[in-house]
Formats: sequence, C-alpha cells, structure tokens
Amino acid sequence: MLHKDPIAHAVAAALLTLFAAGCTATGPQKPEDAKPAQAAPAKPDYTKMTPRELAEYLVFQSGSYDLAQPTQEGTTGRDRLTQDEVQKVCTEVARSGKDIDDKTAERINKLSMATIKYPEGGIKLGDWRKGRDIAWSGFGFRTAHNVDDHSRGAPGGNCYNCHQIGPDRTGGTIGPSLTGYGKIRGSSPEMLKYTYEVIYNPHAYFACTQMPRSGAKGLLTQQQILDVMAYLFDPESPVNK
Amino acid sequence: MTKLKQALSALPLALALVGNASASKAPEDILDELIAKTKNDPYLTQSPQNRMMMPDNPAYEWAAEGEKLFKQPRGPKNASLEKCDFGKGPGVLKGAYVELPRYFADTGRVMDFESRLVHCMKTLQGFTDNDPQIKVRHGEKSDIMKITTYVAMQSNGMPWNPPMNHPLEKAMRDAGRELFFRRAGPMDFNCATCHLNPPGTRIRASVLPNVKIGEEWTKAVSWPAWRVGHEAVRSSQHRVLECLWQMRYPNIMPDSDVHIAIISFWTDAARGQPAILPDMKR
Ligand code: HEC
Ligand code: HEC
Repeated sequence: MLHKDPIAHAVAAALLTLFAAGCTATGPQKPEDAKPAQAAPAKPDYTKMTPRELAEYLVFQSGSYDLAQPTQEGTTGRDRLTQDEVQKVCTEVARSGKDIDDKTAERINKLSMATIKYPEGGIKLGDWRKGRDIAWSGFGFRTAHNVDDHSRGAPGGNCYNCHQIGPDRTGGTIGPSLTGYGKIRGSSPEMLKYTYEVIYNPHAYFACTQMPRSGAKGLLTQQQILDVMAYLFDPESPVNK
Repeated sequence: MTKLKQALSALPLALALVGNASASKAPEDILDELIAKTKNDPYLTQSPQNRMMMPDNPAYEWAAEGEKLFKQPRGPKNASLEKCDFGKGPGVLKGAYVELPRYFADTGRVMDFESRLVHCMKTLQGFTDNDPQIKVRHGEKSDIMKITTYVAMQSNGMPWNPPMNHPLEKAMRDAGRELFFRRAGPMDFNCATCHLNPPGTRIRASVLPNVKIGEEWTKAVSWPAWRVGHEAVRSSQHRVLECLWQMRYPNIMPDSDVHIAIISFWTDAARGQPAILPDMKR
C-alpha cells in the first residue's frame, strides 16, 4: 500500500526533510528558517496530481490546517480530518453526483448497525426537559479560532439545526420535521429501538445521510440520547403538544 | 433531488452574461434583478431589512478608509499600493476582483485577492508577517479588510470570471471541488451537506445558498459583505473559516492553499453571474 501511494511517498519525503533540518546545525538553512512549517520540501507540481491527490495533499501537507490543534476528545486536528470508512465511501458518492447504489448502501447500513451500543438497562426514556436543551444546543466540539470549552457545559445535539422539532420554535429543514413524533408513531419497543439506533448511527438506516452519528462518534452519551428521545416521545413534551 | 435537477437544467440559458453595462448599478439593483429573474428566490429574499439597508451599507465607510490606505505611501519602503498587480496589470483595479483567484507568474502560485494583496504589501511596501498591517485580518482594525472592500467594489456588477487558462488554475479549482465534497470531522460534514439542498432549505432560521444555483451562489460568494450580526465587513477567507468552525474542523491558516482551492471552486461556480459588491449579509 505505502509504496504505491504517491501521497505516502510525499509524507515520507517531508518527514525526512524535517528530520534533516532539525538535526543538521551546519545545514544550508539558517536556524530561523528551520521552523517545521517552513521546512517542508519544495512544493510538488500540483498539475501532476489528480484532483483527489491534490485535495489530500492540501489537507495534510500544504500547511493549510493546524493539524496539531488539540480537540475536546483528546485527539488532534489531523485526526478530525482523517476520514473513516463511512466518510470515504460517502465522499465518493457525493462527488459522483449520483444516488448511492443498493449494494454500497447495504454495506454502509450493515457496518453502521454494528457500531451501535445499547444502554445496559435497556432503552428507557430519560428526562424530556434535559432532552430539549440537548436538542436545541449547537455547542460543543468546535475548535478552529474559537474553541468550545466543554468544562462550561455538555455538548449539544444540534438537532434543531436540521429538524423542525417542537411547534414552539423554528428549526431547520435539512431533515424531516419531527413535530408530533411520539404522538404520530407511538412508543412501542420497536419504535424506541429504531429511534435510538437512528440517533446513535443514522447510516444504519440511511446510508450516507447528512445526519451526524451522535452515538457512534461520541458526540452524545447514551443518557443524553435517552433524554433527547424523551423529548421526542414523552406526551408531556412540547414536541407532542 | 429530481426537482433540483430540473431547475438546474434550465440554468445555462439564464446564465447569459451580464455585461459591463451593469457595472454602474448599485449592489441593491443587482440583487433586485436577481430576485426578479428567479421570481423571489428564498435565499435572495430572506432578509428584506438587509435589502433596505444596502444603500447605506457601512461597508462604504470601510472602502473610503481603504482607498486612503491604498493610495498612501506606507511601510518600510514608503510606497503606496498603486503599482500592485491584481492580475490585469499594475494599478488596474476595475474588474480585477471578479477575475480572481488566478495564477501569478511572479509567485508561481494561484492566489486569491487576499493573498495577492498581502504579497503586494510585502513586496512593494516592505511589511512583514509580524506587522499588524499584515497580521490583523478581521475586524475594524484590519487594514486588509478595508483595502479589500475598496478594491472589490470596483468589480461591482461584473460577471465572476476567474481565468482557467493556466493548468494550475484548473488544478486548484478541481481540488476545491474535491474538498467541497470531502466528508470529515466528528459530524461527517462536507460543504455539500448544507450547500446542495433544494432552494429554501434552512439551517435553523438561515436560508442556505445552493452551489449549483448561480443566482443564489453569486450572492453567497459576494464578499466583502457587511455582516449585520457581526457589525463588521467580512471577507471570503473569513466565511470559509466560519463554515469550517461549524464543521468542527481545525483552524485554517490565512492565505492557505485550502482557502484558495475552495475559493477557486466557489468563484468558478458563480461564473457569469453578476457580483454584488459590497453585499450585506445576516
Ligand atoms: C445535519 C443535519 C441533521 C442533524 C444535525 C440531525 N439530523 Fe436527524 N435527520 C437528518 C436527515 C437528512 C434525516 C433523514 C434521513 C435521510 O434520508 O438521510 C434525518 C432523520 C432523522 C430521524 C428519522 C426520521 C424518520 O422519519 O424516521 C430522526 C428520529 C432524527 N433524524 C432525529 C435527530 C435528532 C434527535 C438529532 C439530534 C441529536 C438529529 N436528528 C440531528 C438530518 C439531521
Ligand atoms: C452545517 C452547515 C454548513 C456547512 C457544512 C457549510 N456551511 Fe457554508 N454556510 C452555512 C450557513 C448557515 C451559512 C449562512 C447562510 C445564511 O446566513 O443565510 C453559510 C454561508 C456560506 C457562504 C456565504 C453565504 C451567506 O449568506 O453567508 C458560503 C460561500 C459558504 N457558506 C460556503 C461554504 C463552504 C465552502 C463550506 C465547506 C468548506 C461550507 N460552506 C460548509 C452552513 C454551512
């Protein structure tokens, strides 16, 4: 793999150059030029790369991003930008401009279903008031120039950005309206399980959906998901009024 | 999806070039024409208040200050920016902004407006990365924002027309397209998550512009714009930063090639549509 990948080659070359610049005090570079960002090798010829190779080069090797920036989950900016399997497949689907084919969709559904972890005590609705706050919060995991401090509060679910939820506040329209969710669908064990799974990892049902994987990516805890579910199902919740 | 495709197939016809004739129109007139042409497109019409305020856009004050900064001899070399070449020759400002990003032989790079301006401030005026004139990119203390507004205005009403003659220009535009669709981060977002939806789709209350609808997209990429919510004029690079922040991506460096690739793609996506400069946004 490594030998066939031009990008991996370039990484290796960049590392070598860095190493050399850091170790040779008598090298051609003045010490003030030896800062890591500046020590990158001469830019490769962008026109010799495929668009995809160039895009990956720009993300990881052009010095565009602060790849070392710490994240709230204890990783780095580099990890945030490194694609997992689902992201890779769904990127290709998006670039193709076509709908996902059945076979790929099935594969994504299956591997996504396998990521779902269920609460030990079973799927029991939590506190709808807490759930409302979570559904209506866009706080959390933002970094870049303005880092969310998670010690100031738990990250939210961003649900309102894409869904109309309660009739009492304006939500987004990227996803379907969830107004009246529990009233319309009832709260059978199957419906609770389905909803938990969709929130935990929506690709289990909707391959390459726009909706985030709140459970699988650790954006929400299991308890938070149960609270959001209470907001969707509880007859007392404004969602069902 | 199919509705969208139908709408898109009608676009090329509507893309007839808006010539220099409209260069004398005010930004709000250009917006009004786009609104009329699209029969009240929901993104273009989302803020009647902003439309009303456009003739008194505070960006004009920034532009006036920008003009002074542009013409004043400044920096260690005590030179003005009047010899800066934004791609149409030294000192040519009219129409320069809508033909960026482009390839510059003197740097061997594709540059967007901001990186080119910084290049001129360094080479002509002698400023360095540590000078506030270069360092301060955003806000009312930013010289760069003011000069950007001054120069950009001189392309108001002209069709976006980034050159695609040099292979590097195409390479950056094509890489920008790849980046637009690249899903990453804890929320799996790419730009298309929010900018390739049916007209009128909202993130909470904000109507999202669609990259494939030229009349929407020209307003989307018409920066600098007065951001009412920020009480400041903002740049293209600032908008990229804001969307990346929402996407939970790490910090991006000013003038970086990722910026320039994305801006190459997004400007190309607005090709032929009239620029609204300066614009006013939410
Ligand atoms: C980025 C946008 C986005 C966000 C954020 C988002 N969703 Fe969704 N959601 C969608 C989309 C789009 C669908 C439709 C599935 C599809 O076809 O892709 C959906 C589907 C759903 C469904 C299934 C609806 C049905 O008809 O069966 C539920 C339930 C749901 N979302 C709940 C939530 C909750 C709860 C949150 C917050 C934790 C949330 N969503 C956050 C976009 C989003
Ligand atoms: C999670 C949703 C989301 C994602 C992902 C996203 N944006 Fe945005 N973007 C927005 C919102 C919301 C606005 C503001 C729209 C408004 O105010 O009507 C916006 C505004 C813009 C605008 C200016 C239009 C305006 O009215 O302010 C451009 C151009 C843009 N985005 C480009 C991008 C690019 C390029 C990417 C990918 C790097 C991206 N966006 C990713 C949500 C998103």
